[in-house]
Amino acid sequence: MNCVEFESVLPDYLEGGHTPEQQAHLTSCSACSNLLADLNSIVTEAPALQAIEDPSPRVWNAIEIQLRREGIIREPAIARPSRSGFFPRWRAAWLVPVAAALVIAAGIKLYHPSGAGDTAPVAKQTPAAPQVVAQAPRHKVSTEDQQVLNSVASRPPAQLASYQNDMESANAFIRDAEIQLKSDPSDIYAQQLLMNAYAQKQMLYELAVDRTGGEQ
Amino acid sequence: MGRRTVFRRSMFSGKCVAGTATVLALAGMALGATTRKDLHFKVGKHPMVSINNQYGPITVKAGAPHEVVVTAILHSDKVEVDQSQSGSRVDLASHLLPGSDQNSGIVEYQVQVPADANLTLHSGSGVIHAEKLHGDVSLEGANAGIEVVDCADGHVHARTLNGAISINNVHNGHLEITSMGGDIIMNSVSGPFVQAESNSGKIQYDGDFGAEGEYSFTSHTGNIEAVAPAYASIDVLARSNSGAVQSDFSLEPKHAPFLARSINSFSGTLNKAASSVKLFSFSGKIHLKKRQN
Amino acid sequence: MTDAKKLQQDKLTEAAAIERAKQGDAEAFEFLYGLHKRRVYSLCLRMTGNPASAEDLTQEAFLQLFRKIGTFRGESAFSTWLHRMSVNVVLMQLRKKSLPVVPIDETFDGDEESPKKEPGAPDIRLAGSIDRLQLQRAVDELPPGYRTIFVLHDVEGFEHNEIATMIGCSIGNSKSQLHKARIKLRELLRTTRAEKARSGRNAKRKPEQNEEPQSGIGEVV
Repeated sequence: MNCVEFESVLPDYLEGGHTPEQQAHLTSCSACSNLLADLNSIVTEAPALQAIEDPSPRVWNAIEIQLRREGIIREPAIARPSRSGFFPRWRAAWLVPVAAALVIAAGIKLYHPSGAGDTAPVAKQTPAAPQVVAQAPRHKVSTEDQQVLNSVASRPPAQLASYQNDMESANAFIRDAEIQLKSDPSDIYAQQLLMNAYAQKQMLYELAVDRTGGEQ
Repeated sequence: MGRRTVFRRSMFSGKCVAGTATVLALAGMALGATTRKDLHFKVGKHPMVSINNQYGPITVKAGAPHEVVVTAILHSDKVEVDQSQSGSRVDLASHLLPGSDQNSGIVEYQVQVPADANLTLHSGSGVIHAEKLHGDVSLEGANAGIEVVDCADGHVHARTLNGAISINNVHNGHLEITSMGGDIIMNSVSGPFVQAESNSGKIQYDGDFGAEGEYSFTSHTGNIEAVAPAYASIDVLARSNSGAVQSDFSLEPKHAPFLARSINSFSGTLNKAASSVKLFSFSGKIHLKKRQN
Repeated sequence: MTDAKKLQQDKLTEAAAIERAKQGDAEAFEFLYGLHKRRVYSLCLRMTGNPASAEDLTQEAFLQLFRKIGTFRGESAFSTWLHRMSVNVVLMQLRKKSLPVVPIDETFDGDEESPKKEPGAPDIRLAGSIDRLQLQRAVDELPPGYRTIFVLHDVEGFEHNEIATMIGCSIGNSKSQLHKARIKLRELLRTTRAEKARSGRNAKRKPEQNEEPQSGIGEVV
């Protein structure tokens, strides 16, 4: 058996049919065994691509609008009280993906692929690991921050001031944690702080809606 | 911060004048401005109860099985209580009518539920108090104070922006507490998972770090203080970027690589190191104290 | 809570959400969207290579699903249903745009990608594990037909017979195109590695010659 023949049966080989002839060829031919190993690596790693990115918040917005237009979302006859059970309560639905995106951004920053591990010197050379998040979270945050602030703008001044204060505290925490993390991405202390900082920001978004208080 | 305080505050814009206040408060009630609503629901096993309140306290305690008993005190006719029941699920909500504000919109809830009920309680401002419960409890509010007393076994989630959180005698469950500026005080608290996070609020713990649990206290600028007995069995890691850290215990040293870089940290084990304890702050002080008895 | 218990709880919650969605509950829809959006979007993005299109397709997939939620009886997993619907939406889109779904090529050219052809470049094997990000980029560079097959089979886990039905080709075609896609991916990955080596980022070049022990992932023999 030569390489050409081997490669022609490679698909079946990968699915498990191994004849002695094929195995013999493999033992003697490093090119083909390299090829096999590489294809196995690709197949093994492929499922990791299944679920790694989230769509932007506008997708849910568009879906919700359309569902309402088509009457698939129907408001019940009585004003529904709290929306507990499987889902924390909030009235501005668009905040949900934004708040969640924050936590995801933190997660991505912490767990970005750090390369092929210790056996591949190539990966280790790159100083800053590639960012999976396309936009820097900071930019995203300030636009959304503004929208959230707008949604509480009609509140009594004391409440609004308190909320703005909390917003600054949350952002300050995120900034501090990010700086800490940058100096050592593998530092569990910094990672913990960043996750907490984002979780607080998320809580802030979620509780902000409650400040609009009441179905007026 | 009890029920009465809130009520008083609403009448006197923050001033607390004891004697006069009580008289005038009663007078207020006599004027017919408030109404009392009594509700009663029959429920099956593992009921779910949710209460959504904008202004005013919510107190929930364990009561008889199979029933949910509610007393709601409405401070004006500009607020209503909506109720709905579906099977063993009871939902209550304060419904503000046009023209209401943070005083006239107050509703005070006093509720008794079966001890195994799962609860979701929300108040914009007012104290949320949960007592003697064993189910999963979620308590939250932007400015609500939160009190959890004598609860066990369930998941307790408490979230507030600036209200104070106090957890007393809560064991054997999964506890997650988050606040921004509100202080978090834990007394006699233990369990498989205890997590407290704050931004500028301080975190105080007085307990034994028992139950082979995972304890994690994190803050941005708030100080963290934990008091534990000499027999505590812990594997502790404490670090602050710019706050002073201090341990009254002499810990068995443990290898922790990042310590080399920062002097504001300590780590090590005590006794059998059954529980793991992480005390992290960005710039707050951290103090692990030994209990004196 | 253990992972198993949490998973069970999540399933119960999804079932509850489906029931409420049938009643028109907005939150329930949103909850279901939240559970599955990542998987669906990633699938669309892998298949189209374009975030804007992927978002439009994600939207369309969920809309089609939610319109039919009244008919969901729970015979199969909700996620399976959604999965198939998403694939159909994407494939329909690709057809509309006359993009090649799968290149029709029954003959398998053994010569084309012979492993012996190494024109000058050092034989850098993909040693050890593959960087997921590099794989992602390589997949994005695949010609559309190969990409579809690779994503459906190796990433998303569909079988050849399912793919054949969805795309409208033969099982043999599906298998041979998949093989070509994988070979092409390997080439792309090796090119990336070779480029990196050449640009001097890698200080020492490991000579991956015959005497190196086998270190690819997975069973060789």
